[in-house]
Amino acid sequence: MMHTKKLSFPLALLMAAALVLVLFPVFWIVMTAIKPPTDWNASPAIWAPSHPTLINFRTLFDPDAIREYGVGGVSQSATKSVFGSIFASVMATALSVLVGLFSAIGISRYGNGSRATPLIILSGRMFPPAAIAVPFVIIFSNVGLTDSYTGLIAIYVAVTLPFSTWMLKSFVDDVPREIEEAAMIDGRSRLMAHLTVTIPLIRGGLFATTMFIFILNWSEFMFALVLSYSNVSTIPVQLAKYVTATAGTLYGVQAALAVLAIVPLVIVGYAIQSHLARGMTFGAIKQ
Amino acid sequence: MLDSRTIELTETPPLAAAPLRGESKKGLGIAAMAQLLTLPGQIVSVLVLVVPLLVALYMSFTDWSPTRGSLFNAQFVGFENYSELLIWDTRFLYAVIRTVLISAACLSLEFFFGLGLAVLFLREFRGKSILFSAFLTPMMILPVVVGYTFWMLFQSNGPINQIIELLVGPRGAPEWFRSAPFAIVAVVLTEVWHWTPLFFLILLSGLNSVPENPVRAAVILGASPRQVFWRVVLPMLKPVIIVAFVIRSMEIIKLFDEVFMLTRGGPGSATETISLYIYKLAFNDFQLAYGAAAAFIVLLGSLLLIHLLLKPVRNQLLEVSR
Repeated sequence: MMHTKKLSFPLALLMAAALVLVLFPVFWIVMTAIKPPTDWNASPAIWAPSHPTLINFRTLFDPDAIREYGVGGVSQSATKSVFGSIFASVMATALSVLVGLFSAIGISRYGNGSRATPLIILSGRMFPPAAIAVPFVIIFSNVGLTDSYTGLIAIYVAVTLPFSTWMLKSFVDDVPREIEEAAMIDGRSRLMAHLTVTIPLIRGGLFATTMFIFILNWSEFMFALVLSYSNVSTIPVQLAKYVTATAGTLYGVQAALAVLAIVPLVIVGYAIQSHLARGMTFGAIKQ
Repeated sequence: MLDSRTIELTETPPLAAAPLRGESKKGLGIAAMAQLLTLPGQIVSVLVLVVPLLVALYMSFTDWSPTRGSLFNAQFVGFENYSELLIWDTRFLYAVIRTVLISAACLSLEFFFGLGLAVLFLREFRGKSILFSAFLTPMMILPVVVGYTFWMLFQSNGPINQIIELLVGPRGAPEWFRSAPFAIVAVVLTEVWHWTPLFFLILLSGLNSVPENPVRAAVILGASPRQVFWRVVLPMLKPVIIVAFVIRSMEIIKLFDEVFMLTRGGPGSATETISLYIYKLAFNDFQLAYGAAAAFIVLLGSLLLIHLLLKPVRNQLLEVSR
């Protein structure tokens, strides 16, 4: 597009208003996370605490810490869910990208690229997760995978595989075939040509895909909710649990956990922002 | 699933270029490579997606529930679950209608705001790249956290009501989660806040890749900026717009996390989406077979919907995805 006009004042004002709307919820969650218990649910609501504190963050890992504010009965530590989230997301992401990478090269270089394939993959994404969870609950209870990280990771790999495959395929498609062919003429086998030529050439895309899949896994809620009891926990599940805690709603503690959950995603998200569209659209939109 | 060669539904010739014809005499041939590379993906898909789906399909024709013990003890009931759902279950019907209405409201608002913002970003201004990142922030946040944040914002003594009271007086502020229409509005606003950035991102990358020549030609022929936008740019943007709508419809039809945190489907079942209803059926009432049947109805419905949505632009769309 050739528009290079300046932003006029009314339009700039409009943009500023949009920016406030976009950032206000983020501001609110961060503010709530540093509010002392007296400010959590004050009426009228307190926008910025006069005595900011880190007590909510401490309470996440030491449930008794908040007693100094007279709030008792917090029994759950979030430690397990934080480590659970890290473990499940990292493992599932690594496996999904590894398997997806092979599939991507296979489809890009050796598949005959049926036109229907993308649509069929997309249909797989439309099945309500609650319903995929139903057979999983049954199958897992029969093979002893309920409430285990192995089971959760297996599901995460399967549901993110279409994303990793198609996003990586779009990067492999960008690599000219001639380079791989040259490597083969040099006497390398097909597999070696891919390992030594193709993969190094798409390392930027590989990084973006890995981060994108990590975002998906880190955010997942429903499968973790229905397949975890006492062994397994993830941050989203723990976040939902704080709502039902008998001590009442632990606004500040929940907000602290939420902030903790957001930080890695926002860092990762900004790092790969130019590839977000590609990931979200299965490689259909390249930027 | 990932092996494209098993799916020969195409009426058009294969479009990917011919398999890589290296001169390599070492190692595996073309066919073996295709097998080897796609095998892990196929195994994962079959084990973790196809098998559970088949189990669910079988279950949906039985009256199985956890109290019956093994799945083999289930009684086969034919299409009873399906007919019950389609004819008698008004709660299911309402959940479907509600989900469709919420989706329609969300997607149109997201498209409207996303396009508006994308058009603003075609202009030059200082701090453009920082603002671009800032506007993408919502879509990087976990759905559960978005739901929780807006649950706080919409509290009766929360900041949104404070602002409303400031504007229209102390009795103007609603109890968001106690009245059905307001609860639905809260869900829609939450969803719009969360996913407008995706529309913005997709539409902006579409706008940026609109070729210059037709635009220049139209300007030379005397078209006004408005005409250029509606008559030249927007038609060229159509495949991108459809991609955005298809991707978002697929996700929003499954709407669960945010609603679970916001309202749990309440008040009553005023904000109960399809996913929430199936979740409650399966994991609160333990009617797993019935829930599975509901899921397949939804799958067929959404496949049909996406097919109709894609039909007019199918070829264009596949051009985009090349």
